[in-house]
Amino acid sequence: MSLQEIIKDDFIAYQQQADGNQSFTNIRKQAFHEFERLGFPTTKHEEWKYTSLKSIIEQPFRNSCEINADAVAMAVHSPLMNIDAHHLVFVNGSFIAEASSLKPLAANVIVKNLATARTEHPEQFDAHFGKYAKVEGAAMNALNTALLCDGAFIYVPAKTQIEKPVIIYHITDSTQFQTLSQPRNLIVLEKQASAQVVEVYLSLGANPSFTNVVNEVYADESAQLEHYKIQQQENDAFQNNFTQVFQEANTNINQVTLTLDGNWTRNNLHFYMNGENCNTLLYGLYLTDGHQFVDNHTRVDHAMPNCYSDEKYKGILKDKSTAVFNGKIMVHLDAQKTNAYQRNQNILLSDEATINTKPQLEIFADDVKCTHGATIGQLDKEAMFYLQSRGITEANATKMLLNAFADDIAERIKIPELVAIMEEKIEQKI
Amino acid sequence: MMKEETDIIDQVVSQEYKYGFTTDIEMETAPKGLNEDIVRFISAKKNEPEWMLEYRLKAYKYWLTLESPKWQNFDYPPVNYQDIIYYAAPKEKKKLSSLDEVDPELLKTFEKLGISLDEQKRLTGVAVDAVFDSVSIATTFKEQLKEKGIIFCAMSEAVQEHPELVKKYLGSVVPHTDNYFAALNAAVFSDGSFVYIPKGVRCPMELSTYFRINAENTGQFERTLIVADEGSYVSYLEGCTAPMRDENQLHAAVVELVALDRAEIKYSTVQNWYPGDKEGKGGIYNFVTKRGICLGDYSKISWTQVETGSAITWKYPSCILKGDYSVGEFFSVAVTNNKQQADTGTKMIHIGKHSKSRIVSKGISAGKSHNTYRGLVKVNKKADSARNYTQCDSMLIGDRCGAHTFPYIEINNKSAMVEHEASTSKIGEDQIFYCNQRGIGTEEAISLIVNGFCREVLNQLPMEFAVEAQKLLAVSLEGSVG
Repeated sequence: MSLQEIIKDDFIAYQQQADGNQSFTNIRKQAFHEFERLGFPTTKHEEWKYTSLKSIIEQPFRNSCEINADAVAMAVHSPLMNIDAHHLVFVNGSFIAEASSLKPLAANVIVKNLATARTEHPEQFDAHFGKYAKVEGAAMNALNTALLCDGAFIYVPAKTQIEKPVIIYHITDSTQFQTLSQPRNLIVLEKQASAQVVEVYLSLGANPSFTNVVNEVYADESAQLEHYKIQQQENDAFQNNFTQVFQEANTNINQVTLTLDGNWTRNNLHFYMNGENCNTLLYGLYLTDGHQFVDNHTRVDHAMPNCYSDEKYKGILKDKSTAVFNGKIMVHLDAQKTNAYQRNQNILLSDEATINTKPQLEIFADDVKCTHGATIGQLDKEAMFYLQSRGITEANATKMLLNAFADDIAERIKIPELVAIMEEKIEQKI
Repeated sequence: MMKEETDIIDQVVSQEYKYGFTTDIEMETAPKGLNEDIVRFISAKKNEPEWMLEYRLKAYKYWLTLESPKWQNFDYPPVNYQDIIYYAAPKEKKKLSSLDEVDPELLKTFEKLGISLDEQKRLTGVAVDAVFDSVSIATTFKEQLKEKGIIFCAMSEAVQEHPELVKKYLGSVVPHTDNYFAALNAAVFSDGSFVYIPKGVRCPMELSTYFRINAENTGQFERTLIVADEGSYVSYLEGCTAPMRDENQLHAAVVELVALDRAEIKYSTVQNWYPGDKEGKGGIYNFVTKRGICLGDYSKISWTQVETGSAITWKYPSCILKGDYSVGEFFSVAVTNNKQQADTGTKMIHIGKHSKSRIVSKGISAGKSHNTYRGLVKVNKKADSARNYTQCDSMLIGDRCGAHTFPYIEINNKSAMVEHEASTSKIGEDQIFYCNQRGIGTEEAISLIVNGFCREVLNQLPMEFAVEAQKLLAVSLEGSVG
């Protein structure tokens, strides 16, 4: 039975037990038909040219919302649990109330699991759910929308701030069988609201797992968001992670993606600037070894004038690993005075590592400043020599230089615990 | 300043194509459409040997199995391949031994284009092969070249006289299976130039081909093959024009370059096909496959192109760097105006160790045009210490045009050093202000800036062409460029 057939059965099963919310059921039905129409993307699609889903499609993943106690324990043991923050824990996309802990919140702030929010706050939910991450032409989004389990819902009303970070743990548990987990997060910031959100991806179990995530972020005028994503799934984990950020005027967004582990990872990070004077920073670091595969696709739509975006993705590649980078900057007609920067820098530490990078610009306005750059190289021989001639071992010199290389990204992260995890991982991998 | 700029853009848009005349000359044409008989007809016309016909038929059959590609970053109505005349030649068809025997009408045409074959022969010392519609008309300086052992002749002549060379190299760099238009070209190509530089010879003069589409409803499918044997050097120039017509005409050429050990080929193009009128009506579809292979160690291939014409330009002059220490270069200026579209760039495939490549691309878009750079840099597993530097800059003139960059970089070797840089900008108001302040008019200032923007590339052109290229830039952006 192919994965597509399994998904079909799952959807039929879901429909039989669907609850009364008609509009939600309809969204999912439409999404499912779109997925059936499109099927899984193949390398013939330009967007998936270097990224094959073949190894996923051939496996009999089971769409699951089941919960395992070990997974809960694992989340509790994450070093991030010690941070003074709001913690939301999900296993296979299901909310684990007993492992989660919330600090007191300001009035009208909602930090809940999506399923509860849908019934308790239908107004906020219906206004935003499925409005940004389109399913048309996007098979993986359609799949998530059709069969999603649960996820985090964060709603910050106007002129309000969530003081402490919200940390969302998504654990994919494949101890019993090959699991397909489909979490979904929705973050809504009203005018002048601000928040700090961390997404943590973990996995458990020896069986292969496939996590297909969709995140939707809406930032109304003058909202501010610090958004971190840290991917630490185990060796046999596959992950497809799609994020759409929709920005109104004067919004300020800082996004950092750290891909530290996982067998196969595909990230799509899209920004759409729907108002003037938006400020978007997107940074990323990927560390790959073994046969790891990491693909970062980003897209920044400068739809309005006077916006600024700065993008920097860095990669350190070892062994037989492969990384893909595709950055798109779209400057729409009349989006004058756009400032957009994009860089992708890679260090290859082995002859067998492969990097495919495609920094792309599409510009339809004339009064813009856009630059992009990509570099691929090795550690600077002279720097290595300099350090070694001063009695520093080769291993330590390598570590120092790589930490310096990653420092650009680290300094964008305002939570020191995340930086510590990153640095530890660099040390461990080298 | 804004107002002035708009005026200049308007002037640019209203500029007319000055090579848009037709030559009234008796033509011999094949019937419209493409089928096996046409392929046989062309082959028979050229009096080709059996192996050549077989090659054409093989390509034709393969072409039938293909669909035209859809990945390009521009739109064009589907081409009706049955509505094209695949062979057109001036009727005067006796063997020409000197220029005096060429039809005076034809000579007049070339004179109008600024390539008086006669004059060129006397003054500049450039050997010219003129291709009119599909047939090579005259090749100058043949005798002098012969003394050195250099072969410079029409492709149809080479098929007859040097079959062993043609057989060995034709289709070796761009096989008929390469792409849709290469397959079409292999089936119906009518003529083109053939160059062979023997071992250790440095070609004493620039070789040049001038292409002209004259007849209506025809497509031009020429094929150029340049082989530089060990230690030789050649610089080759190519220029093109076409009359103004309302319908689109297809130009699907193939150029193959082969450089053996320590050989160097420098290939320069100034492309000025008719770009269509300002509503985007008519113009040439310039869908060309150009590729060179650095087969030997220490060999070098350098492409320089100045693309100002054509309704649509779609080509990627490429280098396969097979030999160790081989070098590939690509210098390009692409100017689009009105509703012109260009999707151009290069491919550098590094296979040999220590191979190096450099890409400098300058795109200028004005009016409602779109200009795309698309390039591939690929470093294979065994290409140790490969080095690439890419720079692609775009300049936008007016707010209704587009500039796009699609660089593909695929690296499989850790010792590779690859850099890619790109920027997009418009002519800075402060730059113009600076010039104005010093008594330089806005028009002249824009000219200065555009010329400066392209200088890196223009500097690569041989003298004779640099002048023409600069003139062309002026014509393409007249009103803004002096």
